[in-house]
Amino acid sequence: MTVLAVDRLVKHFPIHGGLLQRRVGAVKAVDGVNFAIAKGETLGLVGESGCGKSTVGKTILKLIEPTSGRIVLGGEDITALKPGAMWPHRRRIQTIFQDPYSSMNPRLSAGTIVGEPLENFDIARGRERDERVAALFERVGLRPDSMRKYAHEFSGGQRQRLGIAKALSVNPDVIVADEPVSALDVSVQAQVLNLLIDLQEELGLAYLFISHDLAVMRHISHRIAVMYLGRIVELTDKRTLFARPLHPYTEALLSAATAPDPRRQRRKRAIVQGDVPSPAKPPPGCHFHTRCPYAVADCKVKDPPLREVAPGHHVACHLR
Amino acid sequence: MSGNPGAILEVRDLATQFDTLDGVVRAVDGVSFDLERGETLGIVGESGCGKSVTALSILRLIPPETGRIAAGSIRFEGEELTTLSEEAMKRLRGHRISMIFQEPMTSLNPVLTVGTQIAENVVRHMGVSKKAARERAREMLDLVRIADSKRRLDEYPHQLSGGMRQRVMIAMALSCDPQVLIADEPTTALDVTIQAQILDLMLDLKEKTGTAIVLITHDLGVVAETSRRVVVMYAGRKVEEAPVEALFDNPLHPYTRGLMRAIPRLDVDAEEGGRRPRLQEIPGMVPLLTRPIVGCAFAARCSLATERCRAEPPPVVDAGGGHTVACWEVTP
Ligand SMILES: Nc1ncnc2c1ncn2[C@@H]1O[C@H](COP(=O)(O)OP(=O)(O)OP(=O)(O)O)[C@@H](O)[C@H]1O
Ligand SMILES: Nc1ncnc2c1ncn2[C@@H]1O[C@H](COP(=O)(O)OP(=O)(O)OP(=O)(O)O)[C@@H](O)[C@H]1O
Ligand code: SF4
Ligand SMILES: [Mg+2]
Ligand SMILES: [Mg+2]
Repeated sequence: MTVLAVDRLVKHFPIHGGLLQRRVGAVKAVDGVNFAIAKGETLGLVGESGCGKSTVGKTILKLIEPTSGRIVLGGEDITALKPGAMWPHRRRIQTIFQDPYSSMNPRLSAGTIVGEPLENFDIARGRERDERVAALFERVGLRPDSMRKYAHEFSGGQRQRLGIAKALSVNPDVIVADEPVSALDVSVQAQVLNLLIDLQEELGLAYLFISHDLAVMRHISHRIAVMYLGRIVELTDKRTLFARPLHPYTEALLSAATAPDPRRQRRKRAIVQGDVPSPAKPPPGCHFHTRCPYAVADCKVKDPPLREVAPGHHVACHLR
Repeated sequence: MSGNPGAILEVRDLATQFDTLDGVVRAVDGVSFDLERGETLGIVGESGCGKSVTALSILRLIPPETGRIAAGSIRFEGEELTTLSEEAMKRLRGHRISMIFQEPMTSLNPVLTVGTQIAENVVRHMGVSKKAARERAREMLDLVRIADSKRRLDEYPHQLSGGMRQRVMIAMALSCDPQVLIADEPTTALDVTIQAQILDLMLDLKEKTGTAIVLITHDLGVVAETSRRVVVMYAGRKVEEAPVEALFDNPLHPYTRGLMRAIPRLDVDAEEGGRRPRLQEIPGMVPLLTRPIVGCAFAARCSLATERCRAEPPPVVDAGGGHTVACWEVTP
């Protein structure tokens, strides 16, 4: 059962320039993205820094307005909902940020921060709220007696767990997790990933999981979407993706990832050669053609559409 | 007092504390290490174990209202930093010793363009013209692989992606050719390909200018491929130190062993019978840092712990070849 779907999602940020600060162009951060996530499913979203992953997440959360396209939550089109009409849906889709600290009020105690949504959505107040917050602290591996502390008194990783507790507090259907474990050491990361998986199995949560760590992706995702410069270039179940990547960018990405080993020659992992193109001036045709080892003449002029080449396996490449 | 002539930075018995409502937090509790000229030293450890506070202590950036370096010594080129005047520290910071901060959004100024922020640092320390500094800033953005650097100079931090902000921090830290670079999780927000380019960049810099690097990271892959030696911290203390090969081949401390086992694997098939397997956790939680820890800080979570572990702090045992470990039960 699909809980969240996006259809031809586009987000362009205007670029202003010149003396009059007129609009002179646009950063095409997200340039036509489609996917659906089912109840209890994790869709991983990977791709180079700046390719638009967080922008996809923020648009779904309605933190920013899409330029065009549709966002459908639980069968209902929420794209154009004004804040008032959006309110009842807000609870259902929560987020865990990449940089938790900047989203936390430094004057509030950690317990208050985590309990905020409980009050905002009128779910629990007073003692009941405190009890639920204490249980959430324990759930994410924080000491309940640290509820009185302020955000700056926690380490980076501990703050990330605060963010998870906060997101969980209102029993959402979907969690957009933007690099939720990238600030954590591996033992805490293991706890958090296990926790996220347990919660998913228990509560049927759907995750849009953004990460650049392929081992983490492989561990937590059911399906994985690979983005390049605003577009999804490959989308399939994780087993197929790792065993038989079809898009040249995916291939390069996977070959760059290896297990830790101090004896290996410092890898020249930068296998994708060439400069990252600017999303303000994406290359014509296939966005990847400037760096693709297989590119042919067509790639420079024609957009490869995302096609289903095998059941459930979607690729945007002229050669596949 | 200075012991190691090869060391550019010597940290001895460093203790850094914060006052909080719950009492004094012993964030760093007697940590010692040397950083040799031109080397890369990795620091790893459980979230909250004091890695960032160690780094901030070296730069004397502990907020004075609540925190302080309570004991110990930090020597840079033989000069004691813990007692140096703020004026002199200002001249060192961002120039001879520079730092890449863990949370770029909180360390970049939101109301200044990134070009202005990088250029300001260059003007302050290199004494060049504004125009030259701006050119330098652009060059640095190119170096950290930010496309369209000219346009990006005039953007504000919120207009950049997470990984771009991290690279701006890196550009700023490298802009004045530091002698010591303290990099606190410099590549956490970066994908593997850009991460590789940034690490190459840092290592090139090391080769070219002899910069010594303290690399704080939880990514053991990054440690494996960049560091010569590694310090493992737990609850404000150093529990193990070893050359990088020794640490991976033969981790001695039970905490380090647990850490190695918790790494999600790329090379094994993560799916067994359709279910995602659990990663190995280290059960339990870090101890409260507001109470003095008697005995070994890891005792409460350690499967080998005995009465003695809970009662007396373990001595540092030398396993040979520069490998040391603080544990009662592990005999090298
Ligand atoms: N508020 C904004 N104003 C202008 N441009 C923006 C804004 N937010 C994002 N962008 C631009 O949109 C593009 C995509 O950014 P986004 O943050 O989505 O990338 P990302 O894939 O999450 O990268 P990372 O892995 O580095 O976090 C970038 O070029 C970025 O500079
Ligand atoms: N300003 C402060 N006031 C009070 N306590 C603090 C302060 N800064 C840090 N601490 C505490 O000191 C301890 C060490 O924090 P530190 O940020 O050094 O951890 P870390 O090892 O860098 O962790 P991470 O890997 O999560 O970044 C933590 O328990 C933290 O809560
Ligand atoms: S479409 Fe062409 S350029 Fe794009 S990935 Fe495929 S082969 Fe490479
Ligand atoms: Mg992002
Ligand atoms: Mg830290």
